[in-house]
Amino acid sequence: MTCGPALRGPIRLGPMSGSPEASRWRFLITPRWLAWHALVILSVAGMLVLGDWQLRRAQAGNALSWAYTFEWPLFAIFAVFFWVKTIRDEVHPPAEAGSADDVGLPPGAPVPASGGPRQPGDAGEPGDDDEELAAYNAYLARLTREVKGHGRSHGLG
Amino acid sequence: MAGRTASGSGRGPDERAKEARRVRLNVTLYRLMAYVTGVVLIVLCVLAIMQAFVNDEAAVSVVGQIHGGLYIVYLLVAFSLCRRLRLPPWPTVAVLLAGTIPVMTFVVERWVSHRYIEPTLAAGTTAANPPVPERRS
Repeated sequence: MTCGPALRGPIRLGPMSGSPEASRWRFLITPRWLAWHALVILSVAGMLVLGDWQLRRAQAGNALSWAYTFEWPLFAIFAVFFWVKTIRDEVHPPAEAGSADDVGLPPGAPVPASGGPRQPGDAGEPGDDDEELAAYNAYLARLTREVKGHGRSHGLG
Repeated sequence: MAGRTASGSGRGPDERAKEARRVRLNVTLYRLMAYVTGVVLIVLCVLAIMQAFVNDEAAVSVVGQIHGGLYIVYLLVAFSLCRRLRLPPWPTVAVLLAGTIPVMTFVVERWVSHRYIEPTLAAGTTAANPPVPERRS
């Protein structure tokens, strides 16, 4: 995969060098993400091999294999599609897109008290702190839930 | 599915209420697909086992293709839900693969409901967004 070097070039030399936009892509070359890239490439290659195998079985007279002949490449496309979406979500988190909303919220907008571990005081405060605090609280809440669960969370992200 | 995360400024509380409705719709679709795909997969397994005794290849072929088609829909719906709920990568992979392992869709659906869907719906919308005050208005 040429992902690492290909990314590094334009980022270091381009006009965006040193900007937050450039550092946003750095995570892609961390070991954790390199492992994910490898997994995606391996699974896509595996799906294409399986599709080829089904094609040969279909040509040998197995009727059901015709369906799988087209299905495996489709799954390979899905894998790439999901992978791209995941990376895009990571680079441009949906939470950031919502920060403008918070500024636009009228002060003292009603917030359900059962909304998790948000502190009562920050309900009506507009601004970036509010968004960050809410996101952080949501993150803490999720951590708590995961610890309270059967302790089997292996989320890499 | 596409373009949801790209929407930037100008989203009001109305838009967020819509997003909450979309999450609920996605949850419903996911549950429907999880159960339908799971049931068809079990039928497929039973037929495949029966095939060892009765040589009836046609039934396995038909049900196999039905499951194949349903699994494609399941993948799209489940991945969409995983993004909306901001599931970490491993749980996402587990949810997606559950549709190929007999009985796993039921197990994973319960686990996802308990750990991710219910807390998210209780908070009103997706985890990182502030709760939607729609129930009060």
